Amino acid sequence: MTDRRAFGADAHRYLDGEPFGELSVEERAAADRLANLARAFADRLEPVDAALDEAVMAAVRRRGAVPVGHGAWHWVVSSHRVPVRPVWVAALAAAAVLVLWLAPRRPELSRSGAQRVAAAAAPDTVFVRFELVAPEARSVAVAGSFNGWRTDALPMVRGAAGIWSITVPLPIGEHRYEFVVDQTRWVADPTAHSQVDDGFGGRNSVIVVGPKGLVRS
Amino acid sequence: MNGRGIRWVVLAALMAAPGSLAAQAGSIEARLTARGLPAQLAQEVQRIASDAVAQGVPADPLADKAIEGWAKHVSSERIVSAVRQFAGRMAEAGAAVRAAGLEHPSGNVIAAAAEAMGGGLQPDQIQSVVRAAGTAEEASPALSVATSLTAQGLGVKQAVTIVVEAMQHRRPMSQLLDLPSVARSMHDQGMSPGEIGNRLLPPHGDDAGGPPGDKHDRPPGVPPGPDHPAGPLRP
Repeated sequence: MTDRRAFGADAHRYLDGEPFGELSVEERAAADRLANLARAFADRLEPVDAALDEAVMAAVRRRGAVPVGHGAWHWVVSSHRVPVRPVWVAALAAAAVLVLWLAPRRPELSRSGAQRVAAAAAPDTVFVRFELVAPEARSVAVAGSFNGWRTDALPMVRGAAGIWSITVPLPIGEHRYEFVVDQTRWVADPTAHSQVDDGFGGRNSVIVVGPKGLVRS
Repeated sequence: MNGRGIRWVVLAALMAAPGSLAAQAGSIEARLTARGLPAQLAQEVQRIASDAVAQGVPADPLADKAIEGWAKHVSSERIVSAVRQFAGRMAEAGAAVRAAGLEHPSGNVIAAAAEAMGGGLQPDQIQSVVRAAGTAEEASPALSVATSLTAQGLGVKQAVTIVVEAMQHRRPMSQLLDLPSVARSMHDQGMSPGEIGNRLLPPHGDDAGGPPGDKHDRPPGVPPGPDHPAGPLRP
């Protein structure tokens, strides 16, 4: 292994045209064969068209060229040297930050759609199954603090014996809700942890969801 | 761009800022109208919210309350009345929370405290829970648990004691959040609220003041073993 490494280094030096007085007769013969093969390979190569270099450089120049002409578009695509005082750059950046910070948010997005998406992926979220026995109902949905009280966002599915159900990812914490039967009737959940005054003369169902999920009765 | 051009850009940006402020102030109204509330009702709720914000009360829970009422087809007059009442309760709750040491409580904590007051907790009881919780992150769920236990029929004093002692015993928050479920389970097994409260109180002499995730993973007051009347917790 050591000899092969030494031969390789010396052979490379030989092929590079450097003196090689340390090669043995066999090694020098092998190096000569390699050199002959390399020369034969080089002779077989097609000669490069002298116009190729010029053609490539012309293409590069076309890509980077600015259209000749005048007007706003030409000014926009042309390069310019802009002298700017650092104080103005800082002021511009501060103004941009101020505008972004004061820009009105989209609360509905942040509190309903995005919140639901985040809840579905958040690690502090547990899946809670809601059920309501309502054999006579044509539709049942669950609406509450977790979905902006939207009556059409979480429709439940009718199962056997008229049991409507849906499984919803909910963040850990307290949630208030009711079932909406036939899109008009608000019904409390008899299995909720508790019922509290909703401030409008009705009652909201309350569940407190822990990391282990919900213990249903 | 020369220096004059940059000056114009900066000037335009600064002129836009007051407009953004006005838009933010009107975000509650915009949110309500986007949900279909009439403009007049949305403006009235906006006025209440603006006054509330000036007192350090968060506006979003008020908007949530108005949206809830509108979804339930409550009349505009009643919605305004409920929102105004809730704003007043939140102002009182915020004062109680701040008096307990949370100088800059989040909207969640204030809303939870307001709901707790609506459930019967007094300001001094709110303060007890908040002090026991220690942090804003734990104050909100602690208040919610106390509210839920009270709504399940436990006495307010007993519910507050259960929560405060659980936190003073440094029970994990996961155990605290399980308390309403455990109480509901006990209720379904036929226990009275008084019995439930006694079982949920940490037993005296329990040296469970160790670090969270200590020797047993049970809510306070729930003894080990499947023979316990509350039965094993279902996942």
